[in-house]
Amino acid sequence: MKKLILLWIALGINFQLSAQLERKLSTEGQEVDLIFHAPRNINLLTVEPVDKGTLHFAIMHTFGTLDGGLRNLFGIDNGASIQFSFEYGFNDKFSLGAARQGLDKIYNLYGRYHFFKQTYDDKVPFSLSAMGGAGVNTSDYSFLIEGDPSFVNRTSYAFQLMAARRFSDKISVQVSPMMAYFTDMNPIFFLEGDQNLYLALGMSGKYKVSGKASLTLQWIPNLNSDLRNNVGLGIDLEAGGHVFQMYFVTSPALNEQYLLAGGNGVPGEQFRLGFNVNRVFATKRSRMDW
Amino acid sequence: MRFLIILSLLLSIHWSVQAQKFKGEKGEIVFISQAPLSEFEGKSNELNGLVDLENNLLDFFIDLNTLKTGIGLRDRHMRENYLETKKFPFAEFTGKLKTVPKLTNGTPVNVVASGQFKIHGVEKNIEVPGQLTLEGNELLLKASFKVLLSDYKISIPKVMFYELAEEQIVNLSIRLKK
Repeated sequence: MKKLILLWIALGINFQLSAQLERKLSTEGQEVDLIFHAPRNINLLTVEPVDKGTLHFAIMHTFGTLDGGLRNLFGIDNGASIQFSFEYGFNDKFSLGAARQGLDKIYNLYGRYHFFKQTYDDKVPFSLSAMGGAGVNTSDYSFLIEGDPSFVNRTSYAFQLMAARRFSDKISVQVSPMMAYFTDMNPIFFLEGDQNLYLALGMSGKYKVSGKASLTLQWIPNLNSDLRNNVGLGIDLEAGGHVFQMYFVTSPALNEQYLLAGGNGVPGEQFRLGFNVNRVFATKRSRMDW
Repeated sequence: MRFLIILSLLLSIHWSVQAQKFKGEKGEIVFISQAPLSEFEGKSNELNGLVDLENNLLDFFIDLNTLKTGIGLRDRHMRENYLETKKFPFAEFTGKLKTVPKLTNGTPVNVVASGQFKIHGVEKNIEVPGQLTLEGNELLLKASFKVLLSDYKISIPKVMFYELAEEQIVNLSIRLKK
């Protein structure tokens, strides 16, 4: 009889418990949001996608070296190397971009593809994306004795894999094996390297300080050239749909090919101020509610 | 003894079959944010609900990750900085009807529910007016209520490309089956 009473109690409890619905996530495998604030982190592209039907615009600047001191306003008087870049998301996996770098007047076309994204349940432990791009130098070299380089000899190519993981609420890291190829290394180009193929391992980091601000880091060790490595550190600020990125970096270069072959100053005295402004435009809505 | 046990088991099964329990899984929920300069809404079709008329129990929950506002970046900010869905994935309501109505097929009846609403880790007692319609073996529920974000410690973004209203209107509609 005691058993029976226990059973009844158990049933009663059971009934009480089943009175409420079991809380289940409808989004098993929810993708991790905002591994980085923007499709760019300092100079490198990230795994952050451009949403379908939106246009991401970035304007990037680097200035002269800091060692000019206050007289040159820490390099700002030396003028800026500027890159405009536009990237349009065709779907959530694929986007195409076009960029123009002031240095050597390079026009670059590139695409990004996102293979998969890190999920909160860690079934997918990191996000993987790839980038491929081709650029052409459009500077005027007609003053050269040997004449203008041909179109083909002005081209350069870049390829990059981006593997990124958000390790915690605050820390995100991306590792990007990179490759750049120059058809013809003309000494007149703004490049320090003298080989055609460059391999490097880009690293990007983000440390979230608050919902709207993060410290950022970039380090691009070269793997097959003895050029100095690129180092950058900065801060990302989100404000009203813009992401402002301010940083110190060792190279004036802004596109991938030049980042690998352009050479770098010594970190410290030869740091340069740089800043990017990122903005996203929704294009698929007639009503702009921005 | 064994007979008694079996009988009690049977009874309990019988009991839950008898109960006026309605459950639903794909209810629609919409929140509307009407700020002076920008109005937008977020939608989800993943509302789960239970209405037990016999024991007068209501229970609803939704996975907030399923809310979509039409702009991916806005959704990401919403999840990351405002709702903090990694820590608080659900919005939940558990309560009862103030008076359990007699339902006749096809006639909408206005009801008021009172209970605990929980979102962003904060719980509050609220009252929600709604409408119940019995349609054969199904129960159609519609309700609307307002949520003050400050009540639930949800910060309002100040400088953002969207403005968020302090007062959010929530409309829900769900079809529950016996």
